[in-house]
Amino acid sequence: MLACIRCGLCLTSCPTYVLTLHESEGPRGRVGMARAVAEGHLQVTPDLLEHELNCLVCDACSAVCPAGVHMDPLQVVLRSAIEPEIHRSWGERLLRRLVFSWLFMDMARFRVLARLLWLYQRSGVRWLARRLRVLDLPGLAEAERLLPEVPRRFFTPRGESYPSSVRRRSATAAVPAGDGAVPAGDPAGLVSDGDAGSQVSIFAGCVMSTALADIDRATLRVLLRAGFTVRNPAEQGCCGALHAHGGDLRGALALARSCISAFEGSEGPIVVNSAGCGAMLKDYAHHFRSEPSWAERARAFAARVRDLSEVLSPGALPVVHGVDGRVVYQDACHLLHAQRISRQPRELLSCVPGVELVEIDEAALCCGSAGIYNLTNPVQSRQLQQRKLDHILAAEPSLIVTANPGCLLQLRAGLVERRSPVQVKHLAEILDEASAP
Amino acid sequence: MSVADDLRQLLTASRVLDAPAELRTYAYDASFLTQLAPRSPDAVVIAETVQDVSAVMRYANANRIPVTPRGAASGQAAGAVALTGGIVLALNAMNQILEIDTANMQAFCEPGVVHAQLNAALAKQRLIFPPDPGSSRMATVGGMASTNAHGMRAVKYGPTSAWVLGLEVVLPDGQIIETGSVGSRAKQSSAGLELTRLIVGAEGTLGVITRLRLKLMPIPIARAIVVGLFDALEQAGQSVQAVFASGVGPSAIEILDERCVQAINLYRPAMALPRVEALLLFEVDGNPPGVRWDAERICEVIGPFARRTEWSDEPARISALWEARSLVGAAVGMLRPGSNRAYCGEDICVPVARIPETLRAVQEISARHRIPIATYGHIGGGGLHPGHLIDGRDADEIQRVLRVADEIHLLALRMGGTTTGEHGVGAARAPYMAQEHGPALDVMRRLKRALDPNGIMNPGVIFDTPALPFEMPLNAPVGEPAVAPIDPG
Repeated sequence: MLACIRCGLCLTSCPTYVLTLHESEGPRGRVGMARAVAEGHLQVTPDLLEHELNCLVCDACSAVCPAGVHMDPLQVVLRSAIEPEIHRSWGERLLRRLVFSWLFMDMARFRVLARLLWLYQRSGVRWLARRLRVLDLPGLAEAERLLPEVPRRFFTPRGESYPSSVRRRSATAAVPAGDGAVPAGDPAGLVSDGDAGSQVSIFAGCVMSTALADIDRATLRVLLRAGFTVRNPAEQGCCGALHAHGGDLRGALALARSCISAFEGSEGPIVVNSAGCGAMLKDYAHHFRSEPSWAERARAFAARVRDLSEVLSPGALPVVHGVDGRVVYQDACHLLHAQRISRQPRELLSCVPGVELVEIDEAALCCGSAGIYNLTNPVQSRQLQQRKLDHILAAEPSLIVTANPGCLLQLRAGLVERRSPVQVKHLAEILDEASAP
Repeated sequence: MSVADDLRQLLTASRVLDAPAELRTYAYDASFLTQLAPRSPDAVVIAETVQDVSAVMRYANANRIPVTPRGAASGQAAGAVALTGGIVLALNAMNQILEIDTANMQAFCEPGVVHAQLNAALAKQRLIFPPDPGSSRMATVGGMASTNAHGMRAVKYGPTSAWVLGLEVVLPDGQIIETGSVGSRAKQSSAGLELTRLIVGAEGTLGVITRLRLKLMPIPIARAIVVGLFDALEQAGQSVQAVFASGVGPSAIEILDERCVQAINLYRPAMALPRVEALLLFEVDGNPPGVRWDAERICEVIGPFARRTEWSDEPARISALWEARSLVGAAVGMLRPGSNRAYCGEDICVPVARIPETLRAVQEISARHRIPIATYGHIGGGGLHPGHLIDGRDADEIQRVLRVADEIHLLALRMGGTTTGEHGVGAARAPYMAQEHGPALDVMRRLKRALDPNGIMNPGVIFDTPALPFEMPLNAPVGEPAVAPIDPG
């Protein structure tokens, strides 16, 4: 907060500033207001809260800041501090408690809910609900549209281990850091020596392992085909990103502790296929930096976290099938800005025969998904979604590829609404299809 | 009724802000002065049309309310902050490129257009608006014109004023005028007083720019970069003289001092620059064989002075070499972890021949006040940007850095230079204008009074020493006791 030199370089990278052109809706203004509150020059007023909570925490500003201001942890602390000041109806408080303190805290409960959703989608209740206009309550129809088709089989971590499907691995598991932002070298000693069966652990996620379990399974297959032995540690759960950005830092840290513990029995990279989770997991070291009993464990955990595109090197995967057509790779903010990863997914896509990668305008601007932003801030979220779709469709792609569940669902919902035939897929799905025997 | 309520009744398209939190975000720019003394305006107008700007000016003039025009507030001189309260007139939403006239090589745009956006649009037509302030991603063209920004390529292409053909300006009484001949698309004119040049660089003290007619040129086909490393500052200075004498006209000549080189090595160890007193970057542009000839000629000329030289016309290598320069702003923070840049005394310009001497003097000031300073700048034109690093929580360091800024400003004048080469006067350098201009300052004041008799346009900037809630240690003899600053909130 003190590091901000107020140069304004962040302004044009910020989605809400681009939409409004108001200083209070930009990163410099948000940091300025937070500092003024901390120093006692400003009262916490409803409009101030609104400006702060309109932040998507997309980290686009952090990525361009010459002074090293990091918006994500700043917003996490701020939101937890101001949560008591936010006026919420009792219904909303109850819902928050239910979701944050009960549902996400236990994956067994989460899976039960996902199973109920599956039933809802398959049993005819959805048809009935839509017919009877039960969804006409504000926000509900929007939320319902964003839901993916829940698959029958989940990807439940049980501590199992999958042997590599390659008998002898060639040098595949180079573990590049981000696009140069992360110091070179490999603190966790993860760089593969090229011998068969380097071990990785998969971070299954909450939404990913249930509502999007097919993507988790595709990720597993891709890793196995690339020569990794994959472990799926039991007791892992939600990463806590939604809690951290939703003003519940305590809940986020509780989830973080159980994730750290869950992976301590394994070695090697922890592979994540959700950009948002990956960014949060890499931030564990920061969140526990002043907690002596956890600081070292969190640091060791965070140093192992890798996005899927960081562990797969182009050429490592046996590509058998091609995909014909123009492909737009949609940069997820939590990969591009938070983890500084943009080159690797594009290189992987370029290895698939027939793929013609096309770039779009404003590629670095958020699509408006941003965790649960599309539910908490539907107006801005929709403006950003439409803007993104306009840019994507102007490039006339036949396929959109992304590496984050939020972007995936946000773009899919928008395309369905526009009756567009363009598909949106996760990077793991494309690589899975291309490398299927 | 408050000022904001009055304004809401007057305006059609534009928006009026007056919530305390919102106003706070308009209380500062990048200057150290407004970091110490942020000042919220009474109201902010997000202007969208020239008619609304005119209505605001008529109202403010009739009621003697100060008006401060504002672009991106990326300035470092406290030139776009309502130092005495009143209305901040935000022009960043007037951000349309109205027309690119390729046949006549000019562009018409609103003042809130961001420089990088303009050049991105022009690049599609293979055209360019050459002045480049370095802060291209945030600076607005209105702000560039108001401060007469120069930037890295000014050594060849001159300042912003050389590229502004005409303006639409709203005067303090609300009247809308067009400078540079009404409806003209001529690229030159001798018709009467050059009002365009009067408004450019006036920092919003004479009127509000609402439209600009800008001169363009074709994008140079090729560029090349020469890097030279020097064991002594004097050799770097001699190299620049030698290059000018050789007949080559570089499009940019940049210098990084020893501390900047150290900072880059800390930030990007892979660059592994040797320990030298100065690094020079020469850029040449033009046609491909021409830039190669120029680059080789520069290497030949500076060779005797340099420890090492290198040149390239490969785009990838050029951007890698330019990286050293572009990293500096961020990298200087590495010299002292936990500290920040304090933008004060950051923009002097001295005669090119006296740059080595000035740099040594800056280092002496740095050592005496125990404030690390990394200096870089546009040596081709004499512009230097000393970057001071301080711990903003330390009251003693704050006092020391204010003294450093004061001494640097006086140093520039002593060297036969100016307190601001390209960022503008603002409030930060207003106290030095009498010394810098002598009786000419009074002529400027008479012009100001003629156009703005009620003194409502951006008061506290250029012409008058601003009333600040803390004492600036101006012209302070060395060793005088520190004065504690006050943050009024």
